[in-house]
Amino acid sequence: MAEGRHNPLLELRDIRKTYRTRRSLFGSGGREVVALNSVSLEIYHGEIFGLVGESGSGKTTVGRLIVRLEDPEQGSIRLEGVEVTKLRGKALRDFRRKVQMIFQDPYQSLNPQLSVFDTVSEPLTVHRIGNSSQREEQVRKALTAAGLSPPEDYVFRYPHQLSGGQRQRVAIARAMVLKPSFIVADEPTSMLDASISAQIFNILIEMREKLDATLLFITHSLAAARYLCDRIAVIYKGNLMEIGSADEIIQNPIHPYTRALLDALPRFGDCGEMKYYGTLLGREREYVEPSACPFFPRCRPADETKCSRDKPLLKEIFPSHFVACFEPDLKQAEGSGGDTCFYGT
Amino acid sequence: MELATKKIVLRYHWVFRIREGWGIFHQSLLGKIGLVLLLLFALMALCSYIPPRLDPMYDPMTGVDPKISHSTGPSMRHWLGTDFMGRDILSQLLAGARIAFMVGVSAAFMSIFLGTAIGMIAGYVGRIMDTLLMRLADMIMVMPTLLVVLILSSLFGQLNIWTIVLIIALFRWPGVSRVIRSQTLSLKQRPFIEAARVAGASHLRIIFRHIMPNVLPLSFLYMTFRVTSAIIIEAALAFLGFGDPGTVSWGMMLQWVWKTGHMFKAPYWLLPPGICISLITLSFYMLGRAMDEVLDPRLRREQEAG
Ligand SMILES: Nc1ncnc2c1ncn2[C@@H]1O[C@H](COP(=O)(O)OP(=O)(O)O)[C@@H](O)[C@H]1O
Ligand SMILES: [Mg+2]
Repeated sequence: MAEGRHNPLLELRDIRKTYRTRRSLFGSGGREVVALNSVSLEIYHGEIFGLVGESGSGKTTVGRLIVRLEDPEQGSIRLEGVEVTKLRGKALRDFRRKVQMIFQDPYQSLNPQLSVFDTVSEPLTVHRIGNSSQREEQVRKALTAAGLSPPEDYVFRYPHQLSGGQRQRVAIARAMVLKPSFIVADEPTSMLDASISAQIFNILIEMREKLDATLLFITHSLAAARYLCDRIAVIYKGNLMEIGSADEIIQNPIHPYTRALLDALPRFGDCGEMKYYGTLLGREREYVEPSACPFFPRCRPADETKCSRDKPLLKEIFPSHFVACFEPDLKQAEGSGGDTCFYGT
Repeated sequence: MELATKKIVLRYHWVFRIREGWGIFHQSLLGKIGLVLLLLFALMALCSYIPPRLDPMYDPMTGVDPKISHSTGPSMRHWLGTDFMGRDILSQLLAGARIAFMVGVSAAFMSIFLGTAIGMIAGYVGRIMDTLLMRLADMIMVMPTLLVVLILSSLFGQLNIWTIVLIIALFRWPGVSRVIRSQTLSLKQRPFIEAARVAGASHLRIIFRHIMPNVLPLSFLYMTFRVTSAIIIEAALAFLGFGDPGTVSWGMMLQWVWKTGHMFKAPYWLLPPGICISLITLSFYMLGRAMDEVLDPRLRREQEAG
């Protein structure tokens, strides 16, 4: 996927997004929450790009900005070189045909009053694609591809007659039915059982092949990202900490936060002398300058003077491997970590 | 996936939901009493067409018994007696049921229609539109409807029954619109609305396809309460002498009792319309309470799980 570096399919440049929390009855004004702070990303055609971070780190916000559910305060988003944030009218409608999203909570993302058929055919209806029998055919295909077969068994059902996994498949079918070129999948399995998660992952992989689509896969689990993604970006409190190929991020993580995320994963198999980085501070630092590195309060290897004063920028430390850290520790942790050792989600 | 099959199944879906709703409704004693009472009143309204056909003297408005020119008690000829000029009270009572349904249901329907539309627009569009519409709602809400109609009728003389219905509707939407607005506000945040936006749905489509079906049950619930208030307002107006002189409503009957000084002399004339007004408003109220339970999502979820 490293090829064709020159023109990414999707490009985020210096995105900033803040939310103003609602002001209280007598409060003078709302507090500002910085959800994303100068985020830049490039996603290339055909890849599955993973965005990993703990909850509240701004992952969903990235997805919502990309599908134009929200607009950034600052920065630009380009799809195929076209600025997305300013699209209106017909251009916006064409954009909506190309970019789709799978939402985190399948219990919330389907209208309880609409049947599966109505839900999945809605994008086709809205964009006036095909006649009714062609639409039926498209819906049938999308449902089958999303693992709901035979589709006849599902089209007339309502969300309350479906399990969580089935609902998420319906949501996937709705996202696929327009044959979009870019899909945002926002933690599509976080509400589902592990066994169903694996099936959903495989459907996403098939979908990429079938539609020749590009995916942004949002997850809180590095292990899931490794399984699914070609490249991974790690985000912490609205700041990108590390970007690299999935294998690099897992086998050669540099940023203390990425290392802490790996440490936190459960491990299975023959792990021998387990590899632990121990980069997380037991007790958070208090009274931190606002200008400090966002991870400074929790970072064990941090440099007390440098890291507490400035925020590091992303630097290319290895080819195509970017890290935002002043003092990257290039040595990997000791431990053989046998070949059969793997991380679980 | 024949389209014909689809339609049948969708219709089946509604049958299923209604049956499910009925299952909950059925457990409510209030609801059952209310429904039975309402059916009785509906029967009365239907029967109101019978007496005038039997004999012109049973016409509730113009039919005067040639032999009687004052109020008399119940007899074989007039089961509930006659009013001050010899008109049959039972015929008037039956006609009153018809008027009550007409006034109640049409005023409620119009005010619910207005309230739902305005509430959805305010909630969905938000910002300045929301502020304007809700200030308007506040202003109308603090005006007592009865007083407004009284003032209007003293300005323009006797009001026609349909004008009264229209005024009630125009002054009774704010309560509903507030409820529908807040429901719309919370629906607007739900991911399925965002999913529709991502799919490319227009605002109109989102309002009609995604929000309206989810607020309509609530609108219908409010409709039963609006029926109650419309009937009471009309009755009060009529009793105070500002009703439509061309209709026989229960309020009008009470006004005649009062005006002709039979208030304490003719219980057979005073009680039936009084009891009917109380019972019909009570039964719509009970129906509304039972429907409230049917629509309560917590109860519904339990039913689904079970
Ligand atoms: N609508 C909103 N209003 C206020 N704050 C928000 C809103 N949406 C997100 N946030 C804040 O922005 C930050 C990032 O949120 P989000 O993108 O949902 O994180 P994630 O998906 O990684 O859990 C959080 O601190 C969250 O509280
Ligand atoms: Mg999220």
